[in-house]
Amino acid sequence: MSLNQDAWWAVARSEEVTSEKPLSVDIGDQPVVLWRDNQGIARAMEDRCPHRRAPLSLGCVRDNGWIQCGYHGWSFDGETGRLKEIPNMKDQQRFPPVYKANAFGVTEQAGLVRVCLNPNVAAPLVAARRYDYCGTANVSLTHREYLNALYDDPSLLFSIRGVHFTSYLMAELHEEDGKLVMERSCQWAGMHWPAHFVAEFPLTLLTKTDPVTGETELLLRDDEFRSLFHAVLAPVPSARGVTAVRWRASQGARYPGLRGALLRGINPLTVFSSVNGTKLRTTKPSVSMNGEDLREAIMEGAQPSPGQTAAA
Amino acid sequence: MLEVADRPTSHDDVSTTNSGKGTIALNAVNHWVPHDIVMRDTWFPVAHNYSVTGKPVRRAVYSHPIFLWRENGVVVASENHPNEKVVGEKSQYTDARGRYPVMEHYGVVWVWFGNPLAADPVHLPSLPFLPPKGGLPRHMTSTVRFECAAPISLENLIDLTHADFLHADVVGDERSDSETVETFFDSETVTMVRTCTNKSVAPVMKFFSGIKQPTQNVRQVIRIYLRSHCAIAYGRFTPGDDVPLFHPCTPETRDRTRMEMVMNTTNSDLLFRHVMPKAGYKVSRQDSYMTSPQSPRYMRDTDRKDLHSKFDQAGQRYRMAMMELADRQAKGDFAYRDNVSADCSEIIGLRKELFQF
Repeated sequence: MSLNQDAWWAVARSEEVTSEKPLSVDIGDQPVVLWRDNQGIARAMEDRCPHRRAPLSLGCVRDNGWIQCGYHGWSFDGETGRLKEIPNMKDQQRFPPVYKANAFGVTEQAGLVRVCLNPNVAAPLVAARRYDYCGTANVSLTHREYLNALYDDPSLLFSIRGVHFTSYLMAELHEEDGKLVMERSCQWAGMHWPAHFVAEFPLTLLTKTDPVTGETELLLRDDEFRSLFHAVLAPVPSARGVTAVRWRASQGARYPGLRGALLRGINPLTVFSSVNGTKLRTTKPSVSMNGEDLREAIMEGAQPSPGQTAAA
Repeated sequence: MLEVADRPTSHDDVSTTNSGKGTIALNAVNHWVPHDIVMRDTWFPVAHNYSVTGKPVRRAVYSHPIFLWRENGVVVASENHPNEKVVGEKSQYTDARGRYPVMEHYGVVWVWFGNPLAADPVHLPSLPFLPPKGGLPRHMTSTVRFECAAPISLENLIDLTHADFLHADVVGDERSDSETVETFFDSETVTMVRTCTNKSVAPVMKFFSGIKQPTQNVRQVIRIYLRSHCAIAYGRFTPGDDVPLFHPCTPETRDRTRMEMVMNTTNSDLLFRHVMPKAGYKVSRQDSYMTSPQSPRYMRDTDRKDLHSKFDQAGQRYRMAMMELADRQAKGDFAYRDNVSADCSEIIGLRKELFQF
C-alpha cells in the first residue's frame, strides 16, 4: 500500500522502546527498528543494515547509544543514520557521507512513540495525559478494513467491560477540527431491552479519528455527560496486511453502583487480536460506506459538503 | 573501503568488455540477485555415502528430484522413485533411463547436474584434507540446512568478520593486533585468506583443546568452488588445532540450502575431535539467524546499493565471479576454463603431513 510519508505513526508504546534490545515494527511494508539511546531518546531507523541487508533489530544497542548490526557489527548513530564504526577497522573509522542507513523522525508523547518516514516533518503536539492501562494487538485485517470495522461495529474490534455498543448513532460520522468524529449510543451490558425498543440510552461512545493514521480517541460518557473512560487506539498498517494496534486507556469519573464498579475494576478495555470473520462478513457496511469519501475530502483540505456525512 | 556505493548507475552495466573477454563490472555486485543464479554442468554433493542404502532416499537440486539407492552396492541416482509410474518427459539432465551421472568420492555421493554426456570426474572439486575413499567416522559429519539461497550462505562464509560477532562464543571475538585479508581467484574458484595475529582465543579451543594462552595466531582460508557451491573452510590456529571443514551448500531449491558437512579433526585430541564437528549445529543456527531474513531481501534487484568495507573484497569477488560464470552459462558456454580437481593443498596452505591418505 502507498503510505503517507509525512504522517506520524504511533508504532510503539514508550515502555516497549528500551536500550536493552532493539524493537522491530513496521509502517506498511517498511520495516522499522526502534531503540532508546544512552540519553534515553527514542531513535528509529530502517530495519535493514545497508551493508548486507540484515535486520538491525537482531543486533544490539551499544553503551554509547549506537545501534550495532548483529551480523558484522557495523554501528550506526540513530539521529543521523551515519555509520560510525566497523569492527576490525581499528583506527580507520572515517566513512564517506553515503555510508548511512535511513533514519526516521521520532517523537514520544503521552506514552506513545510516533515515527515519521520523512525525517523533515515537524512532530505534532499531543496533550500529555496519564494512562492506567495499555496493550498491543496485531490484527490480520488491513488498516482500511480495520477503520471500516471501527465505524460500522466497534464490537468487532474491542470490548469495554459492562458496556454494550448499539447500532444507533447519536452523531453520524462527520468532520470536526480535521478529525472524523462520530458518537454511538451504548447500553449497560446485562439485562436490557433490545436497543431498537429503547427510548433513552444511558451511555455514548465518542470516537475521534485522524483521517490519515486512523489514530482514534475513544470517550465513554454517561447521560450526565460525565467522561467515564478514555482510550487512544493507534492502528498502524504493518507487513502482510496486518494492522498493529497500540492502545492506552484511563479511567474517568466514578460511576456509582455495580455498573461503575465493573467498569472501574481491572482494565475494562480488551482490544482483540483476532476478528470474528463470520461476524465481520455479515456486518453490512453502513457508516464506512461514506467514511472513505469523507476521509479523503478531509485530507484534501476540502470542506465536506452537507451531504458528505456518513449516515447510518 | 571500496567506493562502489556512490558510483553513478551508468557504471552498473552487468557486462563490459575487457581485453575482448566478457567480464562483470565491479559495480555490478550491487545488482546481486543470488536466487537468479542457477549453475549446471557440475557435481553437487547430495549425501554422505552412509545415507545411501538399498532403500531410496530423496534429494533435490534446484527442485529437480533425485532418488538415491544402491544396486549391488553401487549408487544409483534417478529422477524417479523406483515405485513411481513415470509419466511425462524425462529431464534433460538424465540419461535415457532417467538416471543422473553419480559417483562416490571423499565419503560423499556426488550427482552431476547438467549435460550427462559432459560428466567427468575431472570436474570434482579438490578436497585434499578428506580421504578420497571416505571412511572418516560419522561423528565428523553432519547434515545442516539453511533457509536461504546457497550463494547467500557462501557469501556469509567468505566474509569471516561476521564470525567475530555471530560466532564469538565459538571462535572468539574481533580483537587482534593485526588482520589482513587476501583474495585469489580464477574462473571457477575464489579463495580468501585471512590472517590475524594475537586474536582472542577461540572459546571452543580454550574449553575443549586446553589452550591456556589468551590469544592465538589464526590463518583462515575459505575456498569456494563456484559451480558446485562447495567450500573449504580451513583454520590453522597457533597455538591450537588445524580444522579443515568441507562446507558444501547444495541448492535444493533456489532459496533453501543443504549442507553435507565433513570436518576432519582426526589430528586433534580426543575431546576436541568429537566436540568441534558438533559446533556446526550451533554455528549454523547462528548463521541462519541472519541469512534467513537476509535472503528474501536479495530476491529482487534494487537500485539501492549495498555498502562495503575493505573486508568485503572477497565477497565482492565471489559475487562478480558467480555473475560472470552465470553470464557465460546463459550464453551456452558450460566449458571449464580452470581445473577444479587440481590439488589445492598449496593454495589453502594445508599441512600435508597431517593429512596423509
